[in-house]
Amino acid sequence: MDFNPCMKHQLIAKTVREFAENEIKPMVAELDREARFPHEIVERMKPLNFFGLQVPKRLGGAELDTISYAIVVEELSRVSAALGLCVTVHNSVGIYPILEFGTREQIERFVPAMAAGDSIGAFCLTEANAGSDAGGVETSARETDDGYVINGTKIFVTNGGVAGTILVFAVTEGKSRAANVFIVEKERPGFLVGEIEDLCGMRANPVSSLFFEDCKVPRENLLGKPGQGLKIGLKGLDTGRIGIAAQALGIAQAAYEDSVSYAKERQQFNKPISRFQTIQNYLAEMATNIDAGRLLLHRAAALKDKGVPFSAQASMAKLFCSETARNVTDMAVQIHGGYGYSKEYDVERYFRDAKVTQIYEGTSEVQRMVIARHILTQPS
Amino acid sequence: MKLFKIIICIKQVPMVSELPWNAKTGTLKRELAQGMMDPSSRRALEAALQIKEERAKQGGKTQITVLSMGPPMAAEILYQAKALGADIGVLLSDRRMAGADTFLTSFILAQFIKKQVPDVDLVLCGSQTSDSETGQVGPQLAGELSIPALGYASDIKLLGNFIRVQRHVDDFFEVLEMDLPGLVTIDQGAYTPRYTTLGGVQDAFGDTDIIRVDAKTLGLDENFNALKDSPTRILDVYSPTTQKENVVLKGAAKTVVDQLFDGYGKIISSAMGKDLKTHGHEEGI
Repeated sequence: MDFNPCMKHQLIAKTVREFAENEIKPMVAELDREARFPHEIVERMKPLNFFGLQVPKRLGGAELDTISYAIVVEELSRVSAALGLCVTVHNSVGIYPILEFGTREQIERFVPAMAAGDSIGAFCLTEANAGSDAGGVETSARETDDGYVINGTKIFVTNGGVAGTILVFAVTEGKSRAANVFIVEKERPGFLVGEIEDLCGMRANPVSSLFFEDCKVPRENLLGKPGQGLKIGLKGLDTGRIGIAAQALGIAQAAYEDSVSYAKERQQFNKPISRFQTIQNYLAEMATNIDAGRLLLHRAAALKDKGVPFSAQASMAKLFCSETARNVTDMAVQIHGGYGYSKEYDVERYFRDAKVTQIYEGTSEVQRMVIARHILTQPS
Repeated sequence: MKLFKIIICIKQVPMVSELPWNAKTGTLKRELAQGMMDPSSRRALEAALQIKEERAKQGGKTQITVLSMGPPMAAEILYQAKALGADIGVLLSDRRMAGADTFLTSFILAQFIKKQVPDVDLVLCGSQTSDSETGQVGPQLAGELSIPALGYASDIKLLGNFIRVQRHVDDFFEVLEMDLPGLVTIDQGAYTPRYTTLGGVQDAFGDTDIIRVDAKTLGLDENFNALKDSPTRILDVYSPTTQKENVVLKGAAKTVVDQLFDGYGKIISSAMGKDLKTHGHEEGI
């Protein structure tokens, strides 16, 4: 077992870091302050395959392995968690379900434009009465002669404000209540984008509500077989959790690096604060947990590529990395002292961005449920 | 149109601005830092990629080979070059090549080119690397290959079997023409490099690997040892520190002004680009 990253993974990391440091970093504070999605940066990201990370070459993607994918998301998130979120959600729950469950015709119709970044993907599941309890979904899809009519409101949709290809989780009434996933193009009549949410963190991501008012979609827009909605949702979440774990790790990594450099410079009591044991303890905690999180994350990614079940391991990675992001960013603000509380420094933004990683794509409580279920269903 | 062959010599340099110095061997402790493609080399590669794209518009084919001499970890920049669009990557690597000065580096690079790509049309290098900044390898390599060389180019145009090169020298632009085969070094400010695509990185580690050549395969003498055989040796590398000395002139205004002009008039004049004494009189001060 070789725990050293191979040359390809090192080069992937450097490639993304170079772009992020030069093109994104100068703008991050402003984007966060103004809660603005950077269309101009996205234009420069498109030709570099950020929006088709694991899409096959013949459809315009980079065809990367999952560890490389995790590294891309981590490095992007290290500079801008909001852009890292956009890219991971687009790739993991936007494109991946179509590649995995779509017909050949659906793949040819939707994936190339998404891989090129010309149509951003989003997945809407959450509703006012359905968060952790996905069974509470009320958005309906009534079957008609030539397709379906969708009615309902989805909230907290990541990329909602800019998405062109939206995957909607809805319930079809009939002989048996069944959950389905539909692909809705933003141009469809009856599809409306709500106001962008005013959030604590991830502010450059256009999270919004999406309204479906008698939104008609043809039969060809049903993803997978009828009734496969739950299976698609769960499989999408497993992949999505790897991406979120990577995102949380990137935030933690940024906070940790800033803390190390600040601790070496800041002098109190005639010495750099890095000489004090308390600060050293914080740095040691941060480094150890980030390292552990990365190992859990890459293990889950490797299992996915092997084609073996990886749900529990993806949940462990998401749980651990998001809790680490929260703890590390908290320590980072503390190490920076008063300056850590000021917007003049980046750490308060990492602190605000980190919190939601414990909530979306399955709260930490839900992750523990998934892991416990895995433990208790193992043969003893 | 015949296949146009370009060789670009690139180097892996440390990512940090200061590297610890190994006084025993007289070399930098490179293994301590992450590496990156020297920025100047990257610009030379960009120049080659643009020449290839221009030629392709007229249906011409170009083969770009990137060549580097370095330790095994330097392979990374060759994969990066392939990811950016280079066709072939070659790493000359051997313990016996370690510690080579610019003279032997040029000699070793030339050995490969003479043996494997004797029909090269254009050799491109960066003008100077970010770590050693000698600017010597390009011209020395041209000498070894017995081909003409032009340095500090900011633009290259391929015109049949010669090139037209523009460079910015002092306060003016020079335009020169040179027959091929020839060598050009690319100026630090020229040819803004493109970003590497993620698909490119995936492809670079695909079917064709980079070629690794050791001292024996290259045909170097069995007693060859670059560290011992280098005719030049770097004694030390350090950042200069400057110290400021403040002088306070005291006294009445007239006294201080006289002291200022008498003691420091010449320095101030040259900094301003004007003669203070005559300038003052012209304006009736």
